[in-house]
Amino acid sequence: MSAGENVESSENALKETADSEKDAKDTEPTPPDVQAISPHNTYKIDLLLKAAGDAPIMKKKKWAVERNKTVYWVADFIKKYLKCQQSDSLFIYVNQSFAPAPDSEIGTVFDCFGSDGKLVLHYCKTQAWG
Amino acid sequence: MSEDREILREVWEGNLPVCFTLVQEEVEVDKPDPVSLMVSRQTYFPLVTDKVQKYFTQFTDKEYIEEMWLEYDGQPLKWHYPIGVLYDLFASADALPWNITVHFRNFPVEEILHCPSKDAVESIFMSTVKEADALKHKSEVINNMQKRDHKQLWSGLQNDKFDQFWSVNKKLMDYTGEEMFRYIPFRIYRRDGPYIQKLFKPSSDEGIDHTLADLLSIMMIDFKELVCGNLRVVIQGVEPALDATLLWLSQHLSHPDNFLHIVILSKTDMNNSIATW
Repeated sequence: MSAGENVESSENALKETADSEKDAKDTEPTPPDVQAISPHNTYKIDLLLKAAGDAPIMKKKKWAVERNKTVYWVADFIKKYLKCQQSDSLFIYVNQSFAPAPDSEIGTVFDCFGSDGKLVLHYCKTQAWG
Repeated sequence: MSEDREILREVWEGNLPVCFTLVQEEVEVDKPDPVSLMVSRQTYFPLVTDKVQKYFTQFTDKEYIEEMWLEYDGQPLKWHYPIGVLYDLFASADALPWNITVHFRNFPVEEILHCPSKDAVESIFMSTVKEADALKHKSEVINNMQKRDHKQLWSGLQNDKFDQFWSVNKKLMDYTGEEMFRYIPFRIYRRDGPYIQKLFKPSSDEGIDHTLADLLSIMMIDFKELVCGNLRVVIQGVEPALDATLLWLSQHLSHPDNFLHIVILSKTDMNNSIATW
């Protein structure tokens, strides 16, 4: 793992988290109380991945990802999807303002910064927002 | 906040005596002496261990040297957590100085991030400050700062300059307009599992200030265990009263990254020092 690069090797196939049929869930409000009761649950959350700067656009932007996957894992997943070199940098931002720590769990980021039942993450290949 | 400035200074000046030893298996010929340092609870290991690294590399086989990493009692230490948080979580039950083992091989890549340079520390530190301000002020305060203010926060921390740091940080701890913090930036750590971080407001809808106890009970910390003393709650090395106002704690006991880092220890965690429980 590297803080500067956000890379992680993972044996998980892309298919495991791919789920394009989740659109209906989008409109449901997030139930924060339920999440507070079960911090270690593993149900999936909806991620919306948006390119920023010079990063290539992903054809499929919406993914369902398990809560306990890390930011690092997501960066790695995007790199594989875009067929980037593993040595390439990939930065992930929340609210277009800060980069969550690579070992943050995506469920935790969602609890704090998700809205409308999904978490929007921007990704880019050079540092965009500080 | 002014009347409590002395508390900010006391917190800032919290230090820990640390004794670094090179792991036995990596000693090449002569056994090096341990290296003792007094380090700030507020800072990060890569900012204070240049000397440690330089000294121990003389005693190990240069051919096998990788990035230095630190371990305590079998636990690799995450360099991107403040030193005080690591101590409270893993070592506060044991006697001082804190005995840390230094490694140059077998980097535990699954457990800790690589730290290519001090820039990586700055990057994670500033991102955490920004995340905290996103919670507190919808990023308004941090975004309205100049680049040089950001640099001042970082250099204040890096050079252990209280006044330099707080002259900027006070803006992050302040009101914007009528509203106090929207949410309290906090992380709750236990030895097992990842930290807990969720949205939590400083006061209830009725305007009553939330206390540390309110936060812990909502975040599923077993309250009965707390009250009867089977759990300890540690922030910045002290055990605050459970009825302390969360907002006050956030403004005064947060680390420089603007998060309130709360460590929960169970009796099992503390079993080495059960006599002093």
